[in-house]
Amino acid sequence: MSGSLNPVIFEVIRNRLIAITEEMRVALQSVSGSPTVTEASDFFTGLFTRDGAVASMGFQVAFHAPVSGAFIRHIMSRPGMVVRKGDMFIGNDPYIAALHQNDVQMVAPIFVDDRVIAWAAVEAHETDVGGMDFASWCPKAREVHQEGLRIPCVKLVDGGTMRDDVLEMIVSASRLPALLGLDIRAFIATLNVATDRISELAQRYGFDVINDAMQRVITSSEVRMRARLAELPDGEFHAQDFLEHDGHSNVLYKIDVRISKRADTLTLDFGNSSPQSPGFINATRSGLMGAVAGSILPTLGYDMPWNQGCLAPIEVVAPDGLICTAQFPAPVGSATVEAIWVTANAIMLGLNKMLATAPDYQYRAQGLHAGAMATFNLGGVNQFGEPFGLHLMDPIAAGSAAFPGKDGVNAGGPITSPVSCIADVERNEQVAPLFYFHRKLAADTGGAGRFRGGVSAEVSFTLGGIEQAQALIMTHGVEVPNSQGLSGGWPGATIRQTFGRGAVSNGRLHNGSWETFGPKPGLMLMTNRDVFAVSWQGGGGYGDPLERDPEAVAKDVREGLVGADAAKSVYGVVVNDGLDLEATEKERAKVRLDRVGGAFRSDPERIFQGAPLLSLGDSLGLAKDRRGWHVITKVGYILCTGSTRWRSGAVSVSWRRLPDQFGILLHEDLAATAYYCPASGALLSVDFHFKDAAPPDDAILDLAVLEGCLDGQSRIH
Amino acid sequence: MGRSGEEDWGRNLQFFIGTDVGGTFTDLWVAGDDGRARVFKAPTTKDVIGGVIDAITLAAASYEVSFESFCAQIARFGHGTTVGLNALLTGSAARTFVLTTKGFGDTLEIGRLRRQTSGMNELEMTDAYFRNRHPPLVPRSHVIEFDERIDATGKIVVPLDVSQAGRMLEALRDERPEAIAVCTLFSVVNPAHELKLRDLVNDVLPDAFVSLSHEISPSVGEYSRMSTTVANAALGPIAGRYLARLEEILRKAGMKVPILMMTCSGGVLPTKLLNDRPVFAVFSGPAAGVKGSQAIGELIGSDNILTTDIGGTSFDVGVIVDRQPITRAEIALAGADMKVRSIDVDSIGAGGGSIASVDRGELRVGPRSAGAEPGPACYARGGTEPTATDADLVLGVLDPDNFIGGRMRLDVEAAQKAIHDKIAKPLGMTVNEAAWGIRKVLDSRMADLLRRMTLERGYNPLDFALLANGGAGPSHAWVLSAELGLRGFVVPAAATAQSAFGTANCDLGYVAERPVYVRVPPRGEPAPDRLQAIGEAMRAARDEAQALLRTAGANEDIKVEQSVSVRFRGQSHHLDVPFVGGLFDSAAYQRVVAAFQQQYESLFGGGASFSQAGYEILSIQASAAVRLTPPSITGSGDQLVRRGSRKVVFDDPTHAVDTAIFQTLFPPPGAEVQGPCIIEFPGQSVVVPPGARASADRFGNLHVTQELQ
Repeated sequence: MSGSLNPVIFEVIRNRLIAITEEMRVALQSVSGSPTVTEASDFFTGLFTRDGAVASMGFQVAFHAPVSGAFIRHIMSRPGMVVRKGDMFIGNDPYIAALHQNDVQMVAPIFVDDRVIAWAAVEAHETDVGGMDFASWCPKAREVHQEGLRIPCVKLVDGGTMRDDVLEMIVSASRLPALLGLDIRAFIATLNVATDRISELAQRYGFDVINDAMQRVITSSEVRMRARLAELPDGEFHAQDFLEHDGHSNVLYKIDVRISKRADTLTLDFGNSSPQSPGFINATRSGLMGAVAGSILPTLGYDMPWNQGCLAPIEVVAPDGLICTAQFPAPVGSATVEAIWVTANAIMLGLNKMLATAPDYQYRAQGLHAGAMATFNLGGVNQFGEPFGLHLMDPIAAGSAAFPGKDGVNAGGPITSPVSCIADVERNEQVAPLFYFHRKLAADTGGAGRFRGGVSAEVSFTLGGIEQAQALIMTHGVEVPNSQGLSGGWPGATIRQTFGRGAVSNGRLHNGSWETFGPKPGLMLMTNRDVFAVSWQGGGGYGDPLERDPEAVAKDVREGLVGADAAKSVYGVVVNDGLDLEATEKERAKVRLDRVGGAFRSDPERIFQGAPLLSLGDSLGLAKDRRGWHVITKVGYILCTGSTRWRSGAVSVSWRRLPDQFGILLHEDLAATAYYCPASGALLSVDFHFKDAAPPDDAILDLAVLEGCLDGQSRIH
Repeated sequence: MGRSGEEDWGRNLQFFIGTDVGGTFTDLWVAGDDGRARVFKAPTTKDVIGGVIDAITLAAASYEVSFESFCAQIARFGHGTTVGLNALLTGSAARTFVLTTKGFGDTLEIGRLRRQTSGMNELEMTDAYFRNRHPPLVPRSHVIEFDERIDATGKIVVPLDVSQAGRMLEALRDERPEAIAVCTLFSVVNPAHELKLRDLVNDVLPDAFVSLSHEISPSVGEYSRMSTTVANAALGPIAGRYLARLEEILRKAGMKVPILMMTCSGGVLPTKLLNDRPVFAVFSGPAAGVKGSQAIGELIGSDNILTTDIGGTSFDVGVIVDRQPITRAEIALAGADMKVRSIDVDSIGAGGGSIASVDRGELRVGPRSAGAEPGPACYARGGTEPTATDADLVLGVLDPDNFIGGRMRLDVEAAQKAIHDKIAKPLGMTVNEAAWGIRKVLDSRMADLLRRMTLERGYNPLDFALLANGGAGPSHAWVLSAELGLRGFVVPAAATAQSAFGTANCDLGYVAERPVYVRVPPRGEPAPDRLQAIGEAMRAARDEAQALLRTAGANEDIKVEQSVSVRFRGQSHHLDVPFVGGLFDSAAYQRVVAAFQQQYESLFGGGASFSQAGYEILSIQASAAVRLTPPSITGSGDQLVRRGSRKVVFDDPTHAVDTAIFQTLFPPPGAEVQGPCIIEFPGQSVVVPPGARASADRFGNLHVTQELQ
């Protein structure tokens, strides 16, 4: 196959493929008119092998990696669909290959003589593709037919000729036909760039060399991903995340993933997730595969070229009919920011729990970034008298998770799309009828921990230049802390969205009638006397907040990132005029004792003498003596023996409602449980779960394999 | 032109000087009015000034005149630097505070989410662990919010409470601010509040250096405008101080001309005009390099130029089209977006120090660099990883005994060992094959960048002349030129000091911008008052640019070019469309839009344009220039001396070719040699492959012509 490819030529072609993918990005972003593309980078460009495996892709939204491949394979499998030189296909059907209908994609075969050598693909989030509500996110939809136009698989450019009639049909379905039309032109420009460049490359090196090189690029990443997996401990890792409100009622849904890691393979089993919902938050299987790619790539594939090879060692197990494998005709319009986003959260949390148990990867084990992507859409007639539609990108400015050695990034954004950004306030106000009162960092939103999660940004605005418009406000994560922490770190605050009616006069805020919104207030009329104010989720914290350097907490208080109240009740740090170290020590000692009910356990047989052999994150270690393997805390307290199911040995405290200082609101079906070291009061983990179910043990290592590995290592030393 | 017997030879000359202060070396290019040009290099000193003085001293000595006489004979003094940037990066800039609108004090920290990923290279981009490398330009504690607000139309929504603002500034006094950056929302549409704040600052904090955003960076978009204003304020006290001191030293020594500072957009200006806007010169070194190439292009009659510079860590490319460098409206510096009209210099991490490695059976070259310490393995300073320089040495391109003019001896065995152990052995190749592979991969990455910078913009690389600058440029150019299908390349006489050359061969120039937002629906055209607004913005920009050059001493012959920034409605990228004429009426609008469509289609292909989207006009630029006659150079040339031969690997790694070696300081005009040969200059080696030939023109530039394969 590709064994004979000269390593120098391979590297030359590999770099060229990356350069071409970059050129595709530039073409798309230059021509596109969608802020989702030009600012938020909610798009995808990639080069695929002739079989539809992605060989090279940009750093944009990683969720899209597998989608176009599925689309290409669909085209090839269609009886009667002739693929010719100069053809371009368009599609957005989530039941074929799309995350949701807004994600319109086009692909083009690239020919050398009469053979297809590769495919180019481009996709972008379009603000409106029709459906019952503006922006094609329809909270009241009960089936997919009520949502945006579905284009199954249509030849839009036929042998180099645009089918104007088809184009007209597609853009007519949109409330923003000009915008969609411009973006389709951007797609064509992007595919043209790829076709020209790949053709040139194939002319120079020949069909076989290019084909081999593309296959080898993929193999190369697969080898790297397998090597990475082989370095991680075998075992089962279990994580859950939740999303509330399906558009119809405020039901709580669970995404449950069991990650089994064996040697150099990974199996993700979603079998225990909630069944599909009647509303638009579902994901199809196409969306699930997107979530898998979007979470695996940045978490495990952070240092390797992103392509199909990274996903080859991963098997997905999920029966039909789950919230993440919804069956036709379930509505799926908001899948990307609902079920897909939350599925990716759960996977990333599970993977990070795995990283935390691996000595070489602990430094980068972390909680979750930006666990929700809130939506604010606005439609009507703008200050220029034109029909308009705004999809506000500001909500990606949520906080990033802390690492074991550093705080999370304030307004750091998600890691599933590495290059997203938001527009200037001035730009937004110049082109859209908005008037901001602030865009700033939101205090007390970063997940508490030894290292703090990054705080989120927050905004508040009214309308500018127009009297009124239709607003669509929806999210999850108002009553679910999706940005979970790790190793005792707390999640970032939940989203807080409020609406002040009649709260503006003369460009200033006044007391109006303020309402705190739930997750999905949905469509509403907004006037230029109303204010919408929202803060998003902060990033997850890392480690026990009582172990955070008091100076760092005092600095956070000084800079307005943490309030003095939260400093005391969450971090046990007393800041009056300045840091009061003595009072802090007292406070922290008191909290630790309170955590375990007023008395530390000190039975000598439960205290392990000696050092742990392995660390399992910030607060736990794995130790061994004649009795077998133990999970121990920092003070050596033995939580369990013979397995890593340690939760039963810890002191646990559960909440249905958390103290205000955490900024975390819990859905009525959701509970939080904290686990403490009985001997020291150290916080070991904070878990979120259905109120009537216990949190699962989350990192069950295969101790027999581990033992073998350790023996192997000691022989080498 | 002989020197012997002319006692007063150096004393009768006038000197055109260009200086460029880089991180390691301060370069000086000098041409006497005898037409001979020379290059001198002195180590850069911490205070910057020392390096410049040292370089002048070297030059004076070489002309056998005193420092004072030399200064007195200076007819032009051009200057460029990257020092401002370094000051920003190392935080040694002035203690700066930001005054802004209430509710928007976190603008620099939020940074549009772009700050968080700034400075990450292409390999780091997918790894969140590398984020947040650059802190905000100033900490939040140095940002003060004022209760005031102007909307997008310029209407004052919340008036500035002057007495309250005054009290807040009083409170700031104890913080001893050295510089104040004022950036309030929509000050570019209505500057009233920024102007009031300046008055207050001048009253309360009279010693502080003040920059207003609507003056420094007149564009809509608060993040880059604030960054630019902060950078300007933070550099103000420093840049002004060092330039004033340098100028004073030289004036006292006898220099009668002002220092002309290179700006990012590629014109020089007397330093006094930059004292209040130092950020305009923050990226002047690389801009000067491209201007140098433009000057060469004029000498050799090439309108379109790809100018390349291969240094130790990076490969930099500028593009000149129709004798004008391509510019960009924004640059990223110190992790922040700056709205400074700049010559567009793109770069990748590929240079002589780029490290080659084998990762799971695959060859990688760069972007990691060995830097100067420990440097390539052949420097024998403890570096064990093979670099591109090691490969060049092994392939015979570099002479171990004549590197940087013999100032450093290279260790061939160390290079061979590094390549053998780290590349050849794991890949099962010979050392020569491995070295050839390293060069091939590196050169191909560079060719990829050259392709992108041309094709991406709708240009054909075949329409360009390739200029090879920097230490390693002339030894790799033959591959780049072949990769692009060009007939050859040019090594400028001052290839190792191209930026310094550029500062001395550049016109006075300044670009003024005015924002003006006009939105035009499909098939419509702007309302009369909007047309008038565009006309006024154009006049204002033109007046500002002309007035500034008059202050710089220009009287007549100020050439002004205008352009309009246009995009399809809803896009975030725009094109600058040239506009000729004074009146902006309906016909003018149609001309601009038609030109936009045409430019757009040439960039993105036929059918890409979509007039049904409507248009947006964003801003107006007026670029004013006054021709400064360049020094006439007639390279008299030294000899081109044959120094034996050695085996050099070109296209075939298994076959090293016997290659003639020449040495020279300046090739004599008309000299011509046949490849394969290598022409060694101090600091660079020009590789002329088999079948090619090199000839020197009368200015000392070497033209290497290759047969196309």
